[in-house]
Amino acid sequence: MATTMATELAHSPPLARPPLSEEDSARSQDRARVERARTHSKRWRLLWLLVGPGILAMLGENDGPSMIAYAADGAQYGLGMFVPFIPVLFAMAFVCQEMCMRIGAVTHRGYGELVLQRFGRAWGWFGAIDLSLTNLVTLIAEFVAIRVGLAFFHLGPGVAVALGLVLVMFTLSGGRYWRWERIVLGMALFNGLFLVSAILAEPDLGQIARSSEFVSGSGGSFNTLLLLVASTVGATVTPWMIFFQQSASADKGMTPRDLGHGRWDTALGAVLATIFGLGALVVGATLLTHDGAGIQGFAGAGFPQALEHIAGRASALTFALGLIEAGAVAILTISASTAYAAGECIGVSHSFNTSPRNAAVFYTANVLGALVAGAIILIPGAPLLSIALNANVLATVLLPVSLTFMVMLANDRLLMGRWVNGRLINAIGISVIAFVAICGTAYGVDSFLQSVHVIAG
Amino acid sequence: MRLPRLDRPHPRPIPEREVQPQERYEDELIMSLERDQFVAETSRPLPRAALSRGVVAALWGLRIFVTVVGAMVVYTFVYQLH
Repeated sequence: MATTMATELAHSPPLARPPLSEEDSARSQDRARVERARTHSKRWRLLWLLVGPGILAMLGENDGPSMIAYAADGAQYGLGMFVPFIPVLFAMAFVCQEMCMRIGAVTHRGYGELVLQRFGRAWGWFGAIDLSLTNLVTLIAEFVAIRVGLAFFHLGPGVAVALGLVLVMFTLSGGRYWRWERIVLGMALFNGLFLVSAILAEPDLGQIARSSEFVSGSGGSFNTLLLLVASTVGATVTPWMIFFQQSASADKGMTPRDLGHGRWDTALGAVLATIFGLGALVVGATLLTHDGAGIQGFAGAGFPQALEHIAGRASALTFALGLIEAGAVAILTISASTAYAAGECIGVSHSFNTSPRNAAVFYTANVLGALVAGAIILIPGAPLLSIALNANVLATVLLPVSLTFMVMLANDRLLMGRWVNGRLINAIGISVIAFVAICGTAYGVDSFLQSVHVIAG
Repeated sequence: MRLPRLDRPHPRPIPEREVQPQERYEDELIMSLERDQFVAETSRPLPRAALSRGVVAALWGLRIFVTVVGAMVVYTFVYQLH
C-alpha cells in the first residue's frame, strides 16, 4: 500500500478530490493541527498532538487485574524475580506495540480488517471472536477491580457498574476521536496512584529484598508460580492492545511521517506502565514482610483493607482509588478495541470520528461489552474472583495467534513497503511469541493435569 | 412534472468573496490527509495474501494449539468452580 501510494499519486489527475465523508472531515482537522505544528517546528506541540494510542494501550493494560496480579506477585514472592521481570515484559510489549502503531500508520487500517482481507474470513473472525471472548472476561475483571476499590469506601457493586457504564457513554458522546482520546488519556495518568501508594507505604526495600528468596515465598506451589507468571505475561501483552493501538493509530490519522513520534508515545507509555506496575509490586511486597497470606486472600476485596492495617490508611486509600481508575480506563480502551474489531470484521464504519447514527455497530459494540460484563458482576454468587484471576491467563493462551498475524502483517511488503520489519525486530517478535506460548502452555497443561488428577497439586 | 426555468437569475447570487475562504479552508483540510487515508480509499478491499504451504500448515498448527490449550484452561477454570 505504501509503495503503491506514490505511483497512484503520480498517475492521478492533480485536481481530483476524493469524496469526503464525515470521518475524513473530522480527521483532517486533527491532521491540519499536526501539519501546522510541524511546519512551525513546534516540537513539544507536535508531540502533544501525536501522543495517545501508545500511552493508552500501555496504561490501559495496567488494568485492575494486572495491578492485582503485580501486587499478588509482590505479596507472594517479594521483589526478587519480578523487579527485572516487569521491565522485560514491558520491553516485549513495546516491540509488539510499535509494530501495531507502524502498521496502523502506514496502512491506515485496523488489525481485524487487515487479517480478514489478507488471510481470509476464517482467521479474521477467529481473531475477532478470540478478542471478544477475552475482552468480555477481562471487562468482568475490570468491574471486579472497580468493585474492590469501591468496597474500601463502603460502596456496592451497583455503583461500580453504573460508574463504568456512565464513563463509556460519556466518552462516546462527542463523536470525535480526539475528544475521546484526550479524556481517557487524562484519566489514565491517574495510574500513577499506584506509585503514590507505594511511596506512602514507606516500604523497607532492603528488608523486602532480603526476604524475597524467590521460592521461599509463602505458600507458593509450582502451579501458583506458573499462574503468576502466565497472568503477569497476560497482564503486559494482550490481544486487545494489538487491536486497539493499530486501529487507534489509523483512527487518529497517523502517517509514516509520524512514526518517530509514535515510537516516543509507545515508549513513554511503556516506561510509565513499568514504573506504576512496579509501584503495585512494591505495595504488595510490603505485605510479604508482614507475613502476608497467599494470593487468594490478596486478590479479593481484602487487599486494600489488608494494606490499611500494615501500610496505613493513606496508602490503602490511594491503592483503592488506583484500582477504580485502572478498571475504569481499561473498560474504555477494551470496549473501544471490541468496537473496532466488530466494525472492521463486519465491514462497516468503525471510527470515533463518525457519529453514532452513521456507525451504529461500532457504538453498539462499544457499549454492549461493558453492559454484559456489568450485568454479570451483579449476578449473586458469580465466581468473580476466579474470573479475575483467570482473565489474564486466558489472554496469554490466546495471544500467540494475534502476535503471529501481527508479525506477518509487519512483514507484508505489499502493505508496508519500506516500513517492513527488520531482522532484529523479527527475531524479537518470534521470541516473544515463543515465550508467551510456553508460559500459557505450561500453566494450561499443568493445571489441566492436576484437575484430572494425573499429577498431584 | 415541469422543469425549473433556467433563464431566471438566482434571487441572491453568492458573492465570490464569501465562497473562496471556506473552499480554501476545506482544501487545506483535505491537503492535510494522505490520499490513501480517505475513507473512500481505506474501504477498498485488499487482495488475499499468497501463503506458502509451510505457512498454511504452521497456521493450522497454531489454530489447533490454541484450541487445545484454550480448552484445557477453560476446563480447569470450570473444575475450580466446583
